[in-house]
Amino acid sequence: MSIELLAAPLIDLPQRWMAALLAIIALTLVMTFAVMFATYYERKVVARMQQRLGPMRTGPYGIMQAFADTVKLVAKEDLRPATADPVAFELAVFAIFVPAFIALVAVPFTEDWIISPMPLSLLFLLAVSGLSFIGFLMAGWGSDSKYALLGGMRAAAQLISYEIPLILAMIGIVMVTSSVNVGDIIIFQDKVPLIVWQPLGFLIFLTASVAELERQPFDIPTGESEVAGGVFIEYSGIRWSMFQLTSYVNMYVFALLGAFVFLGGWEWPFGRDIGWGYQLFLTLAKMSLFIVFYLWSRTSFPRLRVDQLMSYAWKVLIPFALLQIFLNGLVLVYDLPDIVLLITSGAAALAMVALVYRAVRVTPRVPLKMVSNTMPARSVV
Amino acid sequence: MLGILKSMGMTARACFRKPVTIEYPTTHREIPNRDRAFPILIWDDEHDEPFCTGCHACERACPVECMTVVMKDNPKHAAGESKRRKIIDEFWIDYGRCMRCNICVEVCNFEAIGMNNTWAGHELSRYDRSELVMDLDQLLSQSKKHLVEPGLRA
Amino acid sequence: MTARAKGTSSVVVEQDAPEIVDIPINMGPQHPSTHGVFRMVLVVSGEKVLDVTPHIGYMHRGGEKLMEAMDFRQGIGYADRTEYLAQFSAELGYVLAVERLMEIEVPERAQYVRVILTELNRLSSHFMFMGAFGIDSGLFGTSFTYAFREREYLQDVFEEVSGDRLMYAYFRVGGLAWEVTDNFVERVHDVMKTSAKGIQDLDDLLTRNEIFMARCQNIGSFSAQQAIANGLSGPILRASGVPWDLRKDEPYSIYERFRFEVPVGHYGDVYDRYLVRLEEMRQSLAIIEQALEGLPEGPIVPDKMPRRLRTPPGEVYAKVESPRGEWGVYLVSKGGDKPYRMKMRSPSFCNLSALREMTIGQYLADAVMILGSMDIVLCDVDR
Repeated sequence: MSIELLAAPLIDLPQRWMAALLAIIALTLVMTFAVMFATYYERKVVARMQQRLGPMRTGPYGIMQAFADTVKLVAKEDLRPATADPVAFELAVFAIFVPAFIALVAVPFTEDWIISPMPLSLLFLLAVSGLSFIGFLMAGWGSDSKYALLGGMRAAAQLISYEIPLILAMIGIVMVTSSVNVGDIIIFQDKVPLIVWQPLGFLIFLTASVAELERQPFDIPTGESEVAGGVFIEYSGIRWSMFQLTSYVNMYVFALLGAFVFLGGWEWPFGRDIGWGYQLFLTLAKMSLFIVFYLWSRTSFPRLRVDQLMSYAWKVLIPFALLQIFLNGLVLVYDLPDIVLLITSGAAALAMVALVYRAVRVTPRVPLKMVSNTMPARSVV
Repeated sequence: MLGILKSMGMTARACFRKPVTIEYPTTHREIPNRDRAFPILIWDDEHDEPFCTGCHACERACPVECMTVVMKDNPKHAAGESKRRKIIDEFWIDYGRCMRCNICVEVCNFEAIGMNNTWAGHELSRYDRSELVMDLDQLLSQSKKHLVEPGLRA
Repeated sequence: MTARAKGTSSVVVEQDAPEIVDIPINMGPQHPSTHGVFRMVLVVSGEKVLDVTPHIGYMHRGGEKLMEAMDFRQGIGYADRTEYLAQFSAELGYVLAVERLMEIEVPERAQYVRVILTELNRLSSHFMFMGAFGIDSGLFGTSFTYAFREREYLQDVFEEVSGDRLMYAYFRVGGLAWEVTDNFVERVHDVMKTSAKGIQDLDDLLTRNEIFMARCQNIGSFSAQQAIANGLSGPILRASGVPWDLRKDEPYSIYERFRFEVPVGHYGDVYDRYLVRLEEMRQSLAIIEQALEGLPEGPIVPDKMPRRLRTPPGEVYAKVESPRGEWGVYLVSKGGDKPYRMKMRSPSFCNLSALREMTIGQYLADAVMILGSMDIVLCDVDR
């Protein structure tokens, strides 16, 4: 982060453009290394959850694994199917890659460490991170492969559907904090993080962010056992690695967003006068909580089916997100105490959990019958 | 939701268990005495010659016909140093064809062939299939150096 | 606008008007979830499967014909290689056929050891199913590593006894190839403990997981009539509600001596198949427990065993309840030491014939689950 440090104060210098460019380059490099760390970390954590060791060969405890992967991916031949649409195929990578990195522009790592402070940064973050489905569609169509097409269509449907509950959950936050600036939202949480006031919003955000990231249990567009990689199926080498890089950057962005909006970012619990070191530490620690959850869900959950995915978004998440907005509105209009927010939102969260629980076990199943003396099969029919 | 939490609890519990991985090329699992890698011929130290008399029993019993046996008169028998009238002259086993069924060991009347039960019998990757055809010297070399004591014999 | 025919030569769009076409998707033979080299051509409309054409034969080796050129001892190794997840069941079916033809009485001890090993093998085969099925359902390998951990422990025991981890070639006509190891009973007790733990792990991981339930329930349902009409056998048949287990109904070897229960499902869907297999593993443990208690001392091959196996002319059909269903061996002998005709009735092949009926109308993702729930061994299908 040392380059970052240099870049951040430069923002107010006369050469604004130069400084911003420097900051973006620094951020891209830092994020690339962060992603390399994330891949290593993910492989290690997932391995331990599966009682394996994970990478152990490259360097002590395999710490150089990410570098070896990078070298391998960059050195690999970059293939394009002969029948692929060259423009869509090649540009798709950038259509996904660029928005993910642009989103980082508005992320306040600490109080001062932000490349471009903007009054509508939450809106910017959501808007930019919602662009990636275009890239998925381009990749799916341009690859000229049926699996890629299926994956691309699935990705578009999923990303658009889950964008809505995500944004609705954020609208609830905006209502409570009356600000669309991430910095202000963080400062609002100086005593109590918003997760306490908005548990339902938090649950919706958590689910929708996993879906937006296309990680298990929502990895339907890339489902290895169904569409064998989906949109990535025809990509190789550096392009494929850029897809992976993007998905991890997105993971960081959503983890950061969750940490800022629901867990109090660098504000809670110590206030913002503790110096940037502690602020950065708090940000990263809270971000790690989300990342651990993403990894954990990856090892523990099977994949949802595409119709279940849709009905979960439209029948469960969106109505409850609207309910959250409604509850917030009630509290705001009648000026009720904050505790009402907690009670109502918590009750609604429990209701959502109960609803999902009931939906799956809608009919009690007949358990297995244990037969100790079997009879000829014909007598059954 | 409870089931989901149960699943997450399961993976979290597994996180604190000892990993079961054996890092193979650097750490070798101990293989049991009866392990059947590939057949090798056994060296008779007393008479300083192989046990094998080249009787073709294994060759006939082999389901995949991976063996070729050539017999000769034993020069040591003529010199009175050995009781074996006939002795093996040439012996080839194509490890690429062998299906490690142990039948050659079972049919051998002289306990002359056995299954390699060391890691050397398993780690046989070669660049060319023809290098997997083992001749008499290669088949005898491990037993000659007392590197192998086959667990399964006739 | 001319719709670009996306790599499908069969789709020809003549008019300018866009036409909705159903895409044929070629799944396999190199697809991660076809369990080997199986190929399905799925016709999909969006995500719904309209038609399935299974293509088999990529792994055909002529195993039956090869075994006709083998004598009865040499054939055992080929039985292993046909059904490579339940090798002991395959060997048992083969040697039972020969024994019935030759009218050989197998010693008690050999019978018990056979039962113990076959049931352990059922455990390892079902562990393989659990692992692979978890991956089919979208788990990132967690069930696979848990299941394979236990499978490796089981294979350690098999290796100590037979000398090989996969192709055991341990059963012989008349009994066993050689005596079990001295610490066999303790080792089996050890591995039963770890296996019970492994079953519990998989149970915790999958059974009550809502996402797993949502994915498995009410897909690929088969009624009892349909199951019987399609000639299904094994856990798939029992999941459909037919209490039919050859170990109970037509006991072979010494299975009539053991107390165990046969789990029978009610819905015949993928989830029931999973549950039946999970419960069968527990029942297998019970059988092994009883067999270990009753394991007698004594010879492992009959005293008057001919050195060269020659069968009288005749024909015989022997069947065993393999982890996948009825594994049968039909043997015609015209005398001599080789079978005149050898036919394997493989459960994988017969169960796979129901794939089309089960899959049509389901989602693409469910097609993978249904195929996974059949627990096929492709080498057994193609032989």
